[in-house]
Amino acid sequence: MTSFLDILLGGVFHAAVLFLVAAGLQLVFGVQKIINLACGSFYALGAYTGISAVTWALAHGLPRGLFLFALIGAGLGLAVIGPPVEALLRTVYRRDEAFQLLLTFALVLIIEDILRMIWGANPQELGNLYMDYGTVGKGALTVPTYNLLVIAAALLVAIGLGLFLKRTRFGRLLRATAEDRETSATLGIEVGRVYTVVFTLGTVLGTLGGALVVPTAAASLDMSVDLVVEAFAVVVIGGLGSIRGAVVGALTVGLMRAFAVSFVPEMEMLSIYLVVIAVLIFRPAGLFGKAAA
Amino acid sequence: MPTTRRTVLKAMAGVGLAAATRPLASYGASGGQTLKIGILAPRSGVAGTVGECGLRAALWAKDRANASGGILGRPVELVVEEETNPKDTIQRLNKLVLQDKVDCVQGIVSSGVSLAMGPAAEDMKALTLFWDGTTQDGTEESMPHARYVFKSTDNECEAVMASLLAIKYWRGKFATVAGVNPDYTYGRNNWAAFQALLKRFGVEHKVVAELWPKVGGLDLSSHVAALKAAKPDLVFSSMLFADLPIFMKQAHAAGLFETTKFAFPAAGWQHTALKNDFTPEGMIFGHNTLYFAYPNASPLQKEFVKHYWDAYKDYPNWEAERAFFAFAAYKSAVEKAGKAKGGAFPDKEAIIDTLEGIEVESLGGKARFRKDHVADQIFYQGFTVHDPRYDFAILGNVEVRSAEKLQKPSGVTFKDWIANGKIEI
Repeated sequence: MTSFLDILLGGVFHAAVLFLVAAGLQLVFGVQKIINLACGSFYALGAYTGISAVTWALAHGLPRGLFLFALIGAGLGLAVIGPPVEALLRTVYRRDEAFQLLLTFALVLIIEDILRMIWGANPQELGNLYMDYGTVGKGALTVPTYNLLVIAAALLVAIGLGLFLKRTRFGRLLRATAEDRETSATLGIEVGRVYTVVFTLGTVLGTLGGALVVPTAAASLDMSVDLVVEAFAVVVIGGLGSIRGAVVGALTVGLMRAFAVSFVPEMEMLSIYLVVIAVLIFRPAGLFGKAAA
Repeated sequence: MPTTRRTVLKAMAGVGLAAATRPLASYGASGGQTLKIGILAPRSGVAGTVGECGLRAALWAKDRANASGGILGRPVELVVEEETNPKDTIQRLNKLVLQDKVDCVQGIVSSGVSLAMGPAAEDMKALTLFWDGTTQDGTEESMPHARYVFKSTDNECEAVMASLLAIKYWRGKFATVAGVNPDYTYGRNNWAAFQALLKRFGVEHKVVAELWPKVGGLDLSSHVAALKAAKPDLVFSSMLFADLPIFMKQAHAAGLFETTKFAFPAAGWQHTALKNDFTPEGMIFGHNTLYFAYPNASPLQKEFVKHYWDAYKDYPNWEAERAFFAFAAYKSAVEKAGKAKGGAFPDKEAIIDTLEGIEVESLGGKARFRKDHVADQIFYQGFTVHDPRYDFAILGNVEVRSAEKLQKPSGVTFKDWIANGKIEI
């Protein structure tokens, strides 16, 4: 039973990380119909900035136990890159999807080189800082408290996004814009502003995710590409544009991987893509996606 | 002549072409006919720190050589290109040989790259000395009769030594074992070597988990959970890239160190990143062919370690030794072959003939190339301790063994050597 819980928690932790990246991807696609390959790069940017912010804050007297706030500050502060990047994407909103993919892939390469210029080629990490929060559990079942905080953060983001989209006025404006951009504009909704806000929100989901997760791992130049591939598996399973789909897709991928590693390690990646293929064959729009007209 | 749009475009194209064909870096020499050594080393990604360490040692060796008159009177220049994936690295090998016209190529860390690049270097007749990444596939020699390529010690040397130490010190103290090894030829070879030796020495054991994390994967929580669930008495891992400190951190957080013994033959590549906070005492830890704090180190090693600390505020790993050995062996071969020709600069074939069987003093002690182009060097492993002078784990007692006792002799397969060869615990 303890072993099962260990594997389950490992899978849920990985799912939490994937959700934070995939949620930004889903939000941006849901409203703006842009497949943003750079979502993983925002995650990497958050991770690197988080490390620098914590290092700087600790050097300037921040008590170690409060490092989480430096990470959150770094993730939220990176919201500033959202509006200029969205302004760049406006040039391809009405063009073929291939242009959108090319432009966002160019952003992946540009951001990777920016990371290399600022932080260098070698992976960066924060040592064992996250263990300052100790562990939860007893005997054989112990989990780092920080891992549970990351899971809780992902859960809060999922609930918060759901409430924001369903219960707030701006959320309704978003959904209206997502349904029909032209009619929304005719009705007086400032579509341009909505797009800027949505893209910035999507960016922050990525940067905040990267900043929160980095104490348990490390930041490296290739992390964005690695993660975006898995994030797309999440999106295909859950359905493009659906936040609920992102939750279910992330849990599917995270748990499939965790149990495959334990029971059929040779099928660690294969198991995930078997599910992806099955979804593409039997439910092409994904579990919660809308079928194309 | 007026500047037209076409002129500007032509100029831009010219600049672009020049930039595209320029080496990543060139560390020159002044005056005279230079001797060019092409270096292929990873500069970024999970192996970036390792490549950097090797490059620093190559630069040190080059500066020392130039300070004493170069090699056979010729100043040495290093032309550095990056080792990435096999395909791109082979293209850079082509560039070094055909365009930069280097006299010798040195470097390569990944066995994934060396497996592909070795035959390419043979085809091009490019004298190549690998730092690491022996060209083997599934423990079988993939280039048994190389002429132009000189290989590092077998990949399995460190695994053999760690396995022998585990048997020597822990026999009877473990019944279940688990492997967590990087999912490419190196990781698979090492895990095979460990199991073969347990079998050879009749160590009863049961494999309860075999995990193959992706090289450089930074989320290992699922692998740690799987290990915890399998409850092995002993974990054998040849993880060695930037993912190793993350694995250790997550394993420590999961409480794995409380109940399990660890044998990590290649951890020395990341030694300074394996902090005392999350690296246990008493694990078998391999520093391969250079242990920076070896108490009986040679004056050469001490001089290099001091230089490394003064210049970079860091302690070198074994890649520095591999790079130094490649440079020193080549230098010695050129000088010896030149001497045989009355001081004239020798041709490539003569240098190769002299390299076969050559012995030089390297950073980790005496090192040589066997006649079959495989290196024999000294290996250092031991059990970790926490020493207040360092914030990372170092070795308590240091075990020293020559590769002559850790790798298969010429003409024998690994399986035959494991089954019938002379192997001492």
